[in-house]
Amino acid sequence: MYGWIWRHLPGTTWVKALISVVLVLAVVFVLFQWVFPWAEPLLPFNDVTVDQGMAATR
Amino acid sequence: MTVRWIVRTASELCVTAGTLIVLFVVYLLYWTGVRADSAMDGEIGRLQDRWAAGPVAAADTPAPAPDPTAPPRRYPPGRSFAVMYIPRFGADWAKPVLEGTGTDVLQRGLGHYDRTARLGATGNFAVAGHRRTYGDPFKDFPRLRPGDAVVLTDGTTWFTYRIDNRPYTTLPTDIGVLDPVPRASGYPGPGRYLTLTTCEPEWGHSHRLIAWAHLDSTQPVAQGRPSALPG
Repeated sequence: MYGWIWRHLPGTTWVKALISVVLVLAVVFVLFQWVFPWAEPLLPFNDVTVDQGMAATR
Repeated sequence: MTVRWIVRTASELCVTAGTLIVLFVVYLLYWTGVRADSAMDGEIGRLQDRWAAGPVAAADTPAPAPDPTAPPRRYPPGRSFAVMYIPRFGADWAKPVLEGTGTDVLQRGLGHYDRTARLGATGNFAVAGHRRTYGDPFKDFPRLRPGDAVVLTDGTTWFTYRIDNRPYTTLPTDIGVLDPVPRASGYPGPGRYLTLTTCEPEWGHSHRLIAWAHLDSTQPVAQGRPSALPG
């Protein structure tokens, strides 16, 4: 998978390395900005109230 | 499709999954705190600007002829209206209190249960907060002891509540703890109470931790900070 990506990146080794770093940073940004905020409420750390569900039916 | 290819791809997937999990932990433990701290500082800053700009309560407390049958007026949803100080949690512990207990509200500060009493009013002023993640506002919740001060200000008045119980563990469905006279609190009758709720155990959600307090004293902001606050 990663070998396939590396072979398909253009340029010299240095250019490939630079593009790889940019790609990794882009993936991390997408994860922190959208994916993790979406996944986080699915975990229990948000359940700090005693009336969950009540608010929804109110 | 060789064995070598299969093994390599499988190990790459494992490494990717491991990296994802580590990144998610970093996000939970560190990044939510960074975001929440800046959001809470922003809320407190906006509140102080609003309070500095003029008598906030002018529009808030005219009440020419309060109708006893009318439901208690609510704070604007999702907006901060008070700052809470708990010296037990640290001399510099100050968090904004926002109206509502939705997920997005609790990411920016403490949340006031919108069906409970207003700050300082007769009844039960109930507030929920994260114990872990999003700045860990209630991380030290189990250290609360009877007599500890919980000080709040709405820009015009300082309200000093005093904790009356060691943190009480209950179930997530036990909404009786929010009653005007909270069930299991031991309060004999109506009064000006405060309830704090957070999750229990620390990283779980099977139970809730509750602390109750009664209003001990109030003083106008013009008279300076209450004696319960250090500094």
